[in-house]
Amino acid sequence: MLSAFFIFNVKGEVLISRIYRPDIKRSVADIFRIQVVSSTDVRSPITTLGSMSFFHVRHENIYLVAVTKINANAALIFEFLYKVTGLGRSYFGKFDEDAVKSNFTLIYELLDEICDFGFPQNTEAETLKLYITTEGVRSERAMKEEGARIAIQATGAVAWRRPDIKYRKNEAFLDVVESVNLLMSAKGTVLRADVSGQVLMRAYLSGMPECKFGLNDKVLLEKEGKLGSAVSTVPGGGRKSAGAVELDDCQFHQCVKLGNYERDRTINFIPPDGECELMKYRTTENINLPFRVQAAVVEISKNRMEFKVSVRSQFSNKIFAQNVQLKIPVPTNTSGVKCLVTAGKAKYVGSENSIIWKISRFQGQQEYLLSAEAELTSTTTKKAWSRPPISMDFQVLMFTASGLMVRFLKIFEKSNYPSVKWVRYMTKPGTYQIRGDPSMQPSLRLFEPQA
Amino acid sequence: MSMRGLTVFIADLRNCRARELEEKRVNKELANIRSKFKDPQLSGRQKKKYVCKLLYMYILGWDVDFGHMEAVNLLSSPKYSEKQIGYLAVTLMISESNELVRLVVNSMRKDLDDHIEIHQCLALQAIANISAREMAEALSTDVMRLMTSGQAKSFVKKKAALCLLRLFRRHPDLIPAKDWADKIMVGMEDYDMGVALAVTSLVVAVAQSHPDHMAGCVPRAISRMHKIVMEKQYSPEYVYYKVPVPWLQVKLLRLLQYYPPPEDNATRGRVMNIIQTILKNARDIPKNIQHNNAQNAILFEAINLAIHMDPQSEAVVQASELLGRFISSKETNIRYLGLETMAHLAGFAESVSTVKKHQETIISSLKDKDISVRRRALDLLYSMCDVSNARVIVHELLQYLAIADYAIREEMVLKIAILTEKFATDYSWYVDVILQLITIAGDNVSDEVWYRVVQIVTNNEDLQEYAVRTVLTALKSPTCHETALKVGGYILGEYGHLIANNPGCTPAEQFMALHSKFTMCTTPTRALLLSTYLKFINVFPEIKDQVVAVFKQYRFVLDVELQQRACEYLSIATLASDELLQVACEEMPPFPQRESALLSRLQRKTQDTEDKRTWQIGGLDANKENLLAASYKRHSRRRSAVESTDAQLQQQQQQQQRQNSGLLDLSDDLPAQQPPVHHLHQELQQQQAQQTAATTAASYARLVREPNGVLYEDANIQIGLKTEYHAALGRVAIFYGNKSTATIANLATDMDVGDGVRVTLLQPIASSVPPATQLHQMYNIECLSPVNLHATLKISYTVQTAHQPFSSSSNPTTDNNTLSLRLPIVSTKFLTPAPLSRQDFLARWTQIGGPPREMQIVAPTGPSVCTDVGQLRNAVEQHLAVSVLREFEDAVVAAAVWNAASGVGKVGCLIRIELNVAQKMFRLTLRSTNEQVTAALAPQIRDIIESF
Repeated sequence: MLSAFFIFNVKGEVLISRIYRPDIKRSVADIFRIQVVSSTDVRSPITTLGSMSFFHVRHENIYLVAVTKINANAALIFEFLYKVTGLGRSYFGKFDEDAVKSNFTLIYELLDEICDFGFPQNTEAETLKLYITTEGVRSERAMKEEGARIAIQATGAVAWRRPDIKYRKNEAFLDVVESVNLLMSAKGTVLRADVSGQVLMRAYLSGMPECKFGLNDKVLLEKEGKLGSAVSTVPGGGRKSAGAVELDDCQFHQCVKLGNYERDRTINFIPPDGECELMKYRTTENINLPFRVQAAVVEISKNRMEFKVSVRSQFSNKIFAQNVQLKIPVPTNTSGVKCLVTAGKAKYVGSENSIIWKISRFQGQQEYLLSAEAELTSTTTKKAWSRPPISMDFQVLMFTASGLMVRFLKIFEKSNYPSVKWVRYMTKPGTYQIRGDPSMQPSLRLFEPQA
Repeated sequence: MSMRGLTVFIADLRNCRARELEEKRVNKELANIRSKFKDPQLSGRQKKKYVCKLLYMYILGWDVDFGHMEAVNLLSSPKYSEKQIGYLAVTLMISESNELVRLVVNSMRKDLDDHIEIHQCLALQAIANISAREMAEALSTDVMRLMTSGQAKSFVKKKAALCLLRLFRRHPDLIPAKDWADKIMVGMEDYDMGVALAVTSLVVAVAQSHPDHMAGCVPRAISRMHKIVMEKQYSPEYVYYKVPVPWLQVKLLRLLQYYPPPEDNATRGRVMNIIQTILKNARDIPKNIQHNNAQNAILFEAINLAIHMDPQSEAVVQASELLGRFISSKETNIRYLGLETMAHLAGFAESVSTVKKHQETIISSLKDKDISVRRRALDLLYSMCDVSNARVIVHELLQYLAIADYAIREEMVLKIAILTEKFATDYSWYVDVILQLITIAGDNVSDEVWYRVVQIVTNNEDLQEYAVRTVLTALKSPTCHETALKVGGYILGEYGHLIANNPGCTPAEQFMALHSKFTMCTTPTRALLLSTYLKFINVFPEIKDQVVAVFKQYRFVLDVELQQRACEYLSIATLASDELLQVACEEMPPFPQRESALLSRLQRKTQDTEDKRTWQIGGLDANKENLLAASYKRHSRRRSAVESTDAQLQQQQQQQQRQNSGLLDLSDDLPAQQPPVHHLHQELQQQQAQQTAATTAASYARLVREPNGVLYEDANIQIGLKTEYHAALGRVAIFYGNKSTATIANLATDMDVGDGVRVTLLQPIASSVPPATQLHQMYNIECLSPVNLHATLKISYTVQTAHQPFSSSSNPTTDNNTLSLRLPIVSTKFLTPAPLSRQDFLARWTQIGGPPREMQIVAPTGPSVCTDVGQLRNAVEQHLAVSVLREFEDAVVAAAVWNAASGVGKVGCLIRIELNVAQKMFRLTLRSTNEQVTAALAPQIRDIIESF
């Protein structure tokens, strides 16, 4: 189990250090700083140095590091680290260096509570917030009552929700957020594509509501015999409106009753109050790529290089993408670039060594072109340009790359109050990369280079 | 002139908190500079600014791969500030191998020729810093000219001399020392002390590698020293804390040590005079530390020179008194220098009595708080050791070894070992010391040390018994170092029998002493111990059972070396007769006398980096050799310059060889004790192989004429062949039959073919053959050329045999077998009959003509066909794919076409065989249209006829 827990900033300074077991010294922090933070090599999240293993995750501008001297369960330790980031976010809004610095007493208090002698304990923010607070100490009497309540909740069946929540207006929001990972070859073949999505829930519901929620999960639909008949509007109006999605693996928030899911693939749960990540999933089949990019990079001469990039939106023309940005790498010895685009703005950014092309609003079923000419200076060492891939950033609302949609969300409560439910979809890129084609000749010249 | 852009940029970079941010900022700046450099009209000031920024990034470690041209351009700017930045950039960014060096050389030459001194200085500095080969080639003459020119200012000359020194150190071959020697030496007499100092540094460097050319520097050095010390001629600004030009004095004194003492008495007296004066000056110790340092620097060099001149002189006696004071000084530096100089003295003085007086102090210096002082004390003790004080010194060293730093332990161990060996008066002392050494610092005892012990024990018979006894006692102690175990293993194995009758030393006890430590040691030691055990079996038959049990256990150990040893030794031990065992375990003969590997090891450790040492650490012997070698060098050099370099080279090589061989010395010999065993094992195998070889040859000969048959057969496996040929193509099926009762496993086949034939595998084979079954594989064959037409089949397999002839255990063992069989794929296989009439035959016969396309062979016939031409004819028709012309009656005449798939193609062959019944001989005449085919085919046909 954990022997120690540290928080470092990006410079490698120790912000928080908590030793859980006497088998290591505080100075191991230096080892981590020297071997991991300051080293420029490829970093693995687990570094074993001597008899110690360092597990680290990076969040915002801090490193969270767990140290163990035994062969501990790595998954458990990472889960713990992510729980700590979750706690931090839920306590401070943003969990970064400044937040750590201004709340270090609270963090030490939390660390004492969530881990005992290296064994993780209750890490549920809802429960912890009841008794680890930033407020002052209240009277002893109030504490007594409170204490009993806290004990019941912390040890009860639904640790993540207080029983006495009341809202005047009962609302539930579901956000389906997907990130598409893509690696496309220059010829346009998809080398790797997958979607990792999450379903976020914000519940403002009174009492102890039981929720049930259905997706167009292929296994479920087949089971219900509804495949084919269950066609409705898949968000974004993608081509595959046949509508069933094969989910490769799903992970649920602890509130979901896994027994029911295992039995008949229904998702039943009592949601925690406020925001939570209800489920995570991944698919690799039948992915609707929101954008298709083609790029041609031609070396006209030793010190001239021409770029032609076309980008086409493949979603329905009723919706649009926001904040589309393409990053087109240019050689490191570029001295200047002339760009011409049919939409948006493009310019050469020296600090990134690339052309940044921004399109603030990109309607569906459109195609835009960029044509650029880079001027190169001669260098003393002839190094072949590594041709990094073009990468892309965007945000498409009401579109899911996997085709996933929420079929229903039902809420049952003893008092049977009416509730309002909202569903929202969004797709954004994870790593969305397209390799440039060095051999492809540009078919047309969009502009003549000025003399 | 301030450069605001640069300061802002540096401030920006310093404010970057993370590496990524810094990278972004750098990339941005690089992009900006690239776009700025596009403009050819960029002003010098701007250029300077951007080059500065590039330099800053470069120094921070970022990759800067442009802007070099701009930096080079700055060199030719008339402004000093721009030129300076240009030179700075050039020295930093242009490496020796860069192509731009050539461009830079021209600008540099221009600056050297310029009459502005600061430009000359900049150029000189840059040349020294880059010191590329090309640069040295092109500019060394210019630098030389500057150094010797009358007009050049002193500070330019000074820089030129230092620049030349640097070039000489980097590329000694490029500086023509012989031609320049006189010109260089003139500088030593320069009225300017700075110039003289710089030039002397150069002279010291050159004199080390070309002493003959620089011989003229000796009188100059003496007169300069005389002027400074005796006549007090020096400019007041060069007086450093009341000491006149200490650096120059030190250099000159050092220079004199590279040359033999002057022969004529006058000069000699002058030098001694100078030394005496220096010694006199050093009588009173100044209060000021800097003054003291300067004075001591000169003093120590002077003492060194005095020792070099004459170790017996009055000056040296005085000096040794001084030294005695120094080694107990409070100052660490002085103690260090005192000890070092005393080691020098000990290395030359005929009797070390002067040094011995201070023995107590020196030994206490071993415990000095400063490690470098401790090292020097060790060196000194090593140098001053002789028969009279060896015991005391070795004893002290051993005591100190236990608490010594790890950094100097190995060196100490080596030195103790050498001293003990060199000055041992009785052997028991030697053995005791070495064992103590191993016990105290086992980990630091290098292999050479214990190899040497073994050598000495083996070579000295009177020592052996004592050695065995002591070693055994050491082994019996509960803690015993592995090196001791190695020594013990070897010595007990060889001489254990000498003490077998003593109480407490019975064979079983000896064996137990070793074997109780067996599991704790590393593999090489275990291997050595296994060999020892075998020797035990030889001399102590009574413990054979115990030892055999160990061998049996180690037959299955994972390590290959151990396993092999265990297996081999077990088979030797369990052989019916003891003959082999006795031969294998015969006592080791004495090692040939040779130089100790330890000395060369020690010398390798004392490699100098800067100015060469003028003496060796070690007693008089070490330095005598040195002197002899030096004088030999000098003599040979007088004969001719060319010869001398050769001799030098040779000497170096010899020395290297000696060092190398020294290292290998015993390590070569130790494994040499194993070979008898290996040989015998191989012999056994060879005998078996020979038996099968005879039968294999017969079956091969049969298969050359027959298409099918058995190629090889032994107790386990039978390999058969079926072949089929059509013109240049053929097909071979190879059958593997398992005759044994066990499975043949790991069957692997490989075909090794010549260029004349191409073999392709049609049908591969499984890797195991169950008992009493047959598997086969198919090959396609294609004939390409008559030359190199052969194919060999390599087979390897293992058989699980249940028994072993001389082993009592019935554990199954595996036998590895490899076979290499020549396949009967020969040139005659690619013949096809060609029916011809008598006329046609005769016409072609004459058309082809004699040699080289004809070949005639006379040979004895086979037993079955020797009587009758008719019989021979039938046999030929049956076994060779030729058409026999029956029209010829007195001889066998046949015609055929030889086929190849490529190259020569189809070749007509005419054959005539005449039989001499009386002598049982035949004459084969073969004519073909291709000489290569003739050469290949004729012997093959002869072989077939012979085999009838």
